[in-house]
Amino acid sequence: MPKRKVAALEKVDADLVSLQYKIRRDPKSYAQEFYDQWLAYDAQRQIFISSPSSASSEDNKKFHDLVDLVAHVADLYPDVTAPYFDHLKELLTQHHAVLNPDLREKVVGSLSLLRRKDVIDSTSLLTTLFPILISTPSKSLRSLLYTKIVSDLRESNSKATNHKLNRTIQTVLHNLVTSDRTSTKGMWACRITRELWRRQIWTDARPCDVMKEACLSDNEKVVVGGVRFFLGGDKEREEMEDDSSDEEIDIKKVKHQGTINKKTKKRQKAMEKAMEKIKKQERKKHAPHPLNFSALHLIHDPQGFAEQLFQKHLQNTKCKFSLDNKLLVLQLVTRLVGLHKLTIISLYPWFTKYLTPKQPSVTSFLASLAQATHNHVPPDAIEPLVVKIANEFVSEASAAEVASAGINSIREVALRQPLCMSETLLQDLVMYQKSKDKGVVMAAKGLQSLYREVYPELLQKKFRGKEATMGLKSGEVKRLKFGEEQVESGIEGIELLEKYKEEQRLKKLAEKGEDADGDAKMKDDDDDEDGFNSDEWEVASNDSDSSTGWINVEHSEDEDEGPAAKKQRRDSSTAPDLISDEAMAAAAEANRISKLAMTTILTPADLAKLAELRREAQLDKMTGTVSKRRQELIAKHIEDGVTADDIELPAQIGKKSTKEERVAMAKDGKPAREEHKSTQAIRKSKKEAEGKSSTNKEKARKKNFLMTVGKARAKHKRSLVDTKKRLTAHIARSKSGGRRRNGM
Amino acid sequence: MGSSNKKKKEKKKDFNKAKLKVGKAKAKAANFTDTSFKSKSIVVNQHTLAALDGVDLVGLFKQHLNQAINSKSDKLRQEALVQLTKDLSSKPIFNPVGVPNLLTKLLPLITDSVANVRTNFLKLLRALPPSDVAPHVEKILMYIRGGMTHLSTEIRSDTLSVLDWLIEVCPDETVSCPGGWLKTMNSFSSMLGWNPSVASTLSVKGWTSATKTSLNKVSKKNGEAQAKQITIFAKFLEAGFRPETPLPYDEQRYWDSIYRMPTTPNPFAYMNLWGAQRDEDGEMYPDRISRQQVFERKWRAAIKTGVMGAKQEGGVIGRAASVLDKVLRTAEEGGKKVVEEPKIEEVEEVEA
Repeated sequence: MPKRKVAALEKVDADLVSLQYKIRRDPKSYAQEFYDQWLAYDAQRQIFISSPSSASSEDNKKFHDLVDLVAHVADLYPDVTAPYFDHLKELLTQHHAVLNPDLREKVVGSLSLLRRKDVIDSTSLLTTLFPILISTPSKSLRSLLYTKIVSDLRESNSKATNHKLNRTIQTVLHNLVTSDRTSTKGMWACRITRELWRRQIWTDARPCDVMKEACLSDNEKVVVGGVRFFLGGDKEREEMEDDSSDEEIDIKKVKHQGTINKKTKKRQKAMEKAMEKIKKQERKKHAPHPLNFSALHLIHDPQGFAEQLFQKHLQNTKCKFSLDNKLLVLQLVTRLVGLHKLTIISLYPWFTKYLTPKQPSVTSFLASLAQATHNHVPPDAIEPLVVKIANEFVSEASAAEVASAGINSIREVALRQPLCMSETLLQDLVMYQKSKDKGVVMAAKGLQSLYREVYPELLQKKFRGKEATMGLKSGEVKRLKFGEEQVESGIEGIELLEKYKEEQRLKKLAEKGEDADGDAKMKDDDDDEDGFNSDEWEVASNDSDSSTGWINVEHSEDEDEGPAAKKQRRDSSTAPDLISDEAMAAAAEANRISKLAMTTILTPADLAKLAELRREAQLDKMTGTVSKRRQELIAKHIEDGVTADDIELPAQIGKKSTKEERVAMAKDGKPAREEHKSTQAIRKSKKEAEGKSSTNKEKARKKNFLMTVGKARAKHKRSLVDTKKRLTAHIARSKSGGRRRNGM
Repeated sequence: MGSSNKKKKEKKKDFNKAKLKVGKAKAKAANFTDTSFKSKSIVVNQHTLAALDGVDLVGLFKQHLNQAINSKSDKLRQEALVQLTKDLSSKPIFNPVGVPNLLTKLLPLITDSVANVRTNFLKLLRALPPSDVAPHVEKILMYIRGGMTHLSTEIRSDTLSVLDWLIEVCPDETVSCPGGWLKTMNSFSSMLGWNPSVASTLSVKGWTSATKTSLNKVSKKNGEAQAKQITIFAKFLEAGFRPETPLPYDEQRYWDSIYRMPTTPNPFAYMNLWGAQRDEDGEMYPDRISRQQVFERKWRAAIKTGVMGAKQEGGVIGRAASVLDKVLRTAEEGGKKVVEEPKIEEVEEVEA
């Protein structure tokens, strides 16, 4: 069949696109044409509104095109298109259920286009889209609206935080969750809040409040959404941050490529882009870390919240949540209790009936119990639970895994409240280190070493070990009574920081090899000496007599704490001559503290270094080799909760892994190898997949023999003079950059 | 050498016996047809295969109706329209679906891309009985307005023919239905380039103002088209300004209008009880006085300047413009009368 000629008319029919192009290039000249199309749009709109449900496909298509045209040029004719936004809004809110999907998508797209062109503001866009997101039955529309809403919120917060808009939306979300607690609509509030939290657009207490309300909803889905946010939202946020800074550009490589490759505009642009990106990354690296509090810390009234959660979803027998979801709620409650040191006495008796080996996912319960324990919990409340765990889990008859999980969970509890144990029980448990199973042995030993540190009196003498016995004798190791707190005097580890700074200074001086230049130079260098970019922070001068205008305020706390520390020591010690010694030492220490803490203001960089030094010191203090697990334990932040894995871990020790597991572990992190191939071949295919070309060497090797044979023959026939000429030319060329110029 | 070797090999290839290998699929034959694909729609080349003798006429009518809208081929659409027209103009009229359904289905054809389809559609409209068309004037006008400012000039002019027919068939409804007066006028002025609102939005500050651009290139054909536009605009205005002839008094009708159920559809349309709120343009202007007033206020100046310009052009356009001018003048005189009349009434009232 011959190709049908397209008549001119038919071409014109579909030419709204070219009209749009023309209008955008010269809006003044095409005002008349636009006005015509505006009228056509208006007529088509009326046709549509007169019977929205039964509009024909032709009409739909025409309307679709005209909506598109007007949306794209609306910013050029603000007077004519003033009612356009209201038209679209009305169309969407009233007829979104019957609109043709394509047309519906176009209307939503046009609305966000208007927002991008700044014809309307974010608030009006979001207040239009949000009610539809909640009410529409169409899944595709919901996902479209969700992405549009989130992207608009991101966009409007990209340059500076738009507090007004955020507050409006947060209020809307809050109302959504609280207005009808039984409906699933709260899910949307959860999803949006979580997404924006993840992207660090919302970081304050208000979104946490929304999620808090979601947790207290009656609908299971909404509750789970809220609870998951508190349990995992912050981790998600951190991961997101790591991801974004992942892609590093090798600046050296980029520069090198710039010298080698042919210089084109495209390459130059790419190079500029890379440089810009590097600069941005650099700036980001040096920028002060945003002080983002975790969601758990931002909750207002954690005690009330935890109590309500517990009563509503756990204690309440009418609550019919599935076990998994109940466990999630329990995790949140116990996490809050542990983190904020809350007191919910009724929580502990509630645990009793779940602490049997037959209970499904009992390790999670055990982990939650450990999480819920802290030093302000009365030992009377926990002791029966510990006894129950010991009775139910730990016996010669029970399986090794069960016993190890039991002992380990008791250890986790005792770590947080050592007073929960009676002497006989501890002795009984410690004796399990004679067991045959390695997991049980490890768990029992863990318990023993814990009590060596915190409460050695409770152990039998033979289990106390050398250090603990010596410590007991010297009075260094002492147990805290219930309710007693270990008070830190001054800033913990400040002397470490001071020492470090001194060392750094000396090192610098040694490097310079001259200190005759005097103090003036030293002062200048002071800022750099810290080694960690304190120049970003205004406050860094170490000299109290410098004329920077900073007044050193004497901290009243520091003054108070010195004597307080003294008093405490005097009480605890028994020997009278020790008092004066210690008092003097304490006075000296207080002196030293005031020297650094009072003469300088610590920058966040200083504090970070301080934390690092403290950790190092703690590691150093431990004698012998420090196990990897031990290091992890120390590094583990107190805010990270206990998980079921922690409880189950010792049971895994000494288990032989199957072959499949070993193979999987070996393969982990290595490139996939579907078929047997040489490494060279794999590398080559990888290179090809990346779109890179072959090397010159490879090309030469592949070259057709017949193409090279002529030259090879000619080379044989060359005269000696000729050969020499060639060789000298080659040397000259390689010296001057290795490229042939014209005529060479 | 290389290429000839290659060719030789390729020639031999056909006669080599394919080796079968264990564990490999057998090679596909040269004439193998892949039937594994799935299709969402099936394209049928011929639309009707059945013989037409003795089939039910209603079904056939509906089939034509569907073909007229949905068929991809313009020939088929056109033929279907011809068939429908034949049915509608037969005596007695054969129309199993009714005029409202027919119109809702077919009206999008006003802006069909093929000229023959449009002309045939107009023929079909002409075959419709005027009394049946009257209730649907508002809807038809919507489509007409959509077509009047269409990108393509030919569609515009064909749409005007439809409007011409509508004014002929039911002039009063055309100018008095909601949006029928001002919105249509708006479309007309935009079509002719006489629209003051475009100029105001532009706020042209330079010494040139190019009102006519690009798409409407000046040509002989274009001139004729513009003349047609002006003529039909004149007809439209004439219909709007036509003095209403009072119906002779009929006692039966008088009492019917008070106590009987009204026979016309939507008799209280002017109250707009259920529809969306109308703006000034979308409002209905049911009587001549209101039409005249709103015309004086909004359009007279703009259209007068437009007419002056068109008159100066002369030729076909000039002639058409002078017709329009005449209409405007008679309207003005009528308007004066209209304005005077109430004065007299007022005086009477005062006297009373």
